[in-house]
Amino acid sequence: MRRRPKRKGSKTIVNIILAFICFIWLVPTIGLFVSSFRPATEILKTGWWSVFPHKENVTKDQIQLPKDTDLRQPIEVNGTTYTDDELRSGVKAPDGSVLIWENRRGRTINVQQSGWKMNTSFTTENYKGVLTGKQYQITDTDGSVKTKKGSGLSRAFLNTLTVSIPATIIPILIATFAAYAFAWLRFPLRKTMFVIVIMLLVVPLQVAMIPVLKDYTALGLNGTFLGVWIAHAGFGLPLATYFMYSYISQLPKDLFESAFMDGASNFTIFTRLILPLAVPSIASISIFQFLWVWNDYLVSLVFIGNQPGVQVLSMKIADMVGTRGNDWHLLTAAAFVSMLMPLAVFFGLQKYFVRGLLGGSVKG
Amino acid sequence: MTKFPKGLIRLKKMNKTRTVISALILVFALLLAACGKNNDNNPASASVSPSNSTEPSASASTPAATQSASPEESASGTALDDALAGKYKGTKVTMFGPFTDVDQVKFEEAIKAFEDKSGIDIQYEGSKEFEATISIRVDGGSAPDIADFPQPGLLNTFVKSGKVIDVASFMDDEKLKANYNKSWLDMAKMQGPNGNIMAGIWARSSVKSLVWYPKKAFEEAGYKIPQTWDELLALSEQIAKDGDPAWAIGIESGAATGWAATDWIEDIMLRTTTPENYDKWVKGELPFTDDIVKNAVNKMSEIWLNKDYVYGGTKSIVTTSFGDAPKVMFEDQPKAWMHRQASFITSFFPQNLKSGEDYDWFYLPPIDPQYGSPVLVAGDIYAMFNDRPEVRAVMEFFTTGESLKTWIQSGGVIAPMNDADPAWYTSDVERRMAELAQKATTLRFDGSDLMPGSVGAGTFWKGMTDYVSGTVDLDGALNEIQAGWKQ
Repeated sequence: MRRRPKRKGSKTIVNIILAFICFIWLVPTIGLFVSSFRPATEILKTGWWSVFPHKENVTKDQIQLPKDTDLRQPIEVNGTTYTDDELRSGVKAPDGSVLIWENRRGRTINVQQSGWKMNTSFTTENYKGVLTGKQYQITDTDGSVKTKKGSGLSRAFLNTLTVSIPATIIPILIATFAAYAFAWLRFPLRKTMFVIVIMLLVVPLQVAMIPVLKDYTALGLNGTFLGVWIAHAGFGLPLATYFMYSYISQLPKDLFESAFMDGASNFTIFTRLILPLAVPSIASISIFQFLWVWNDYLVSLVFIGNQPGVQVLSMKIADMVGTRGNDWHLLTAAAFVSMLMPLAVFFGLQKYFVRGLLGGSVKG
Repeated sequence: MTKFPKGLIRLKKMNKTRTVISALILVFALLLAACGKNNDNNPASASVSPSNSTEPSASASTPAATQSASPEESASGTALDDALAGKYKGTKVTMFGPFTDVDQVKFEEAIKAFEDKSGIDIQYEGSKEFEATISIRVDGGSAPDIADFPQPGLLNTFVKSGKVIDVASFMDDEKLKANYNKSWLDMAKMQGPNGNIMAGIWARSSVKSLVWYPKKAFEEAGYKIPQTWDELLALSEQIAKDGDPAWAIGIESGAATGWAATDWIEDIMLRTTTPENYDKWVKGELPFTDDIVKNAVNKMSEIWLNKDYVYGGTKSIVTTSFGDAPKVMFEDQPKAWMHRQASFITSFFPQNLKSGEDYDWFYLPPIDPQYGSPVLVAGDIYAMFNDRPEVRAVMEFFTTGESLKTWIQSGGVIAPMNDADPAWYTSDVERRMAELAQKATTLRFDGSDLMPGSVGAGTFWKGMTDYVSGTVDLDGALNEIQAGWKQ
């Protein structure tokens, strides 16, 4: 009885702290979202937070100084003298208003008072540019000007799906088979092989790129979807195997013993017992693998390249910015479009996610 | 681990052992097969390219090379003529380069007519990560047929390892000499493992010694285009007196911050010392700590370190993005009046501006009259990694101005070839650039692109940034840059 109110209080504190952490976590995403609806010129001038009501100095009046004022000498405005530097950054006048240059060349000074302001110019141009592709002006050999339409994100979106779905299913299927074998079957070198798998966890994939690329070139797998599926499968397998192993090895042994007694083969045990029981952990490793493949840039860059037919989202987005990064404002909208799929996958499989994070953390 | 009933396990175990062993053997066999293929592939490709690239006469046994060995014969039928006759119909040539987006579209438009005529499919692949990817691809054995290098220094490393094919082995020397300024051809010669080779051909170029200004406002304010360095400084002073900083300068560029400053130094070096000294400097024979380089940096400082001359003051230079810097010239009232940058910068200008009316450029004036009017250029060199007749044909096509025609017409590129008709340039602004490069008394390539990466894309950028931001003094910065040569 004594404890109950105390508990309630601590729960509120925990919730407040969690809400605060969530908020901090979300700020960049919110900023990106707001920016994606702002015109490029506005993004350059003010931050995304200026769309919220905020206090800012608003110009109330203008003072015209004599045209021949020497800017390098102290400048007299309404009886008070200021230096040029002060007027550049804004200086408080005796009456509380702020004086700042409007136009040094024209020798005009703004008199500003602080007031509430809100930035409300929004546009869907960024999304249009990203989704339907940019327009290019091309002059033909005969001198006529035609407009050529660049490709939007749709093709790259499909390509990325084509890459990520098999690249998620293949390694997880193999890993589940392997995990079952490592956990419940006896065969020579079982421990050695398992240790090798664990060791592979710490090998950075970058070191394997050139050797694998050499083999791919020899086998003609370079620039094909099959090649990148295998690459992702290979790079994802150690973690997936270990993850599945820690879950499957925790299943009660009585289950398998009775299944053996009833004459079930290994395959039956795997399909009828292991798979249904392992669904939560399969779902959570799927999220991990899918997110990794979806956001991947390096593996795609090396193994499939930039041909429009196979180009994935991350690379298409990088290209849209232009050779010299001149269209960087498109990144805001593009990032949001590419975020849609991972968000959908995450919310779809979310209920397994928390359970999966615990997978392997407790060992009996 | 739990144990199953003994009898069962043993049975399973035997079964398992057999399957595992057979699976292992299978994997092993596959690996061996892959390695084996790899092994007989690699020496083959490695031996083909150097022999072709370095001693064309030795490879005369291949039918394609016979033509090149005897130029008299090739005059009647070069690979390009064969291609236009449709001899290589249906073949593919892969190409890899750094330009993407609008540049890629313009490039593809420009080569379309050739593709239709010859039936050769040129598959261009653009990547923002070109510099990193090309090394992986060449080392991984999947080099593209043709690669587009914006930095000759990078190409040089591939030439050194003998991976690049000597284009002089099949191209007509006379034709090249007729179509390119000699400086361009000299810049394409690089040191391979077996002597000098022609590492590639120059395809598109940009002119760097340009000062952009908002033309309409500039004329309304009554400013005159300066013809000498002193006039330039006088103009800067006049603009400062009128109330504006004269220059818009920004060198922020992410990991490449500082490169815009190196362009200034190179331009000033060409104006304050001999071209020979410039070449020595680029090769590392003239150290950064030399008085000649110091003098050049001091010349730059006359403008950069004067807070009245630079928009936002000196301290804002390193934090302003090079692409955003010129934008202040085009506000309702120009907030700055001059911006020195290469021709590509127009793609960063606000879209509604008219070239030749709202903005224009003037030539960065000479400092010392005895060095004439030198021009700093940059450009893309196309190098060849695989020797096939259709690749030769495409390379030959790229030496013609025709290969850039629609690109020139759409704007954004200057042709280094002499047979590119000045009438193709749709605006005077770009036509004058082409003329500037052709008439230049001295033509020199962007030095930082020629220096090894540790200097040209490393300490040179960083040292200049440190100097401008004021963290080190001039001597400290130059020592820091010079240290890059030792790496």
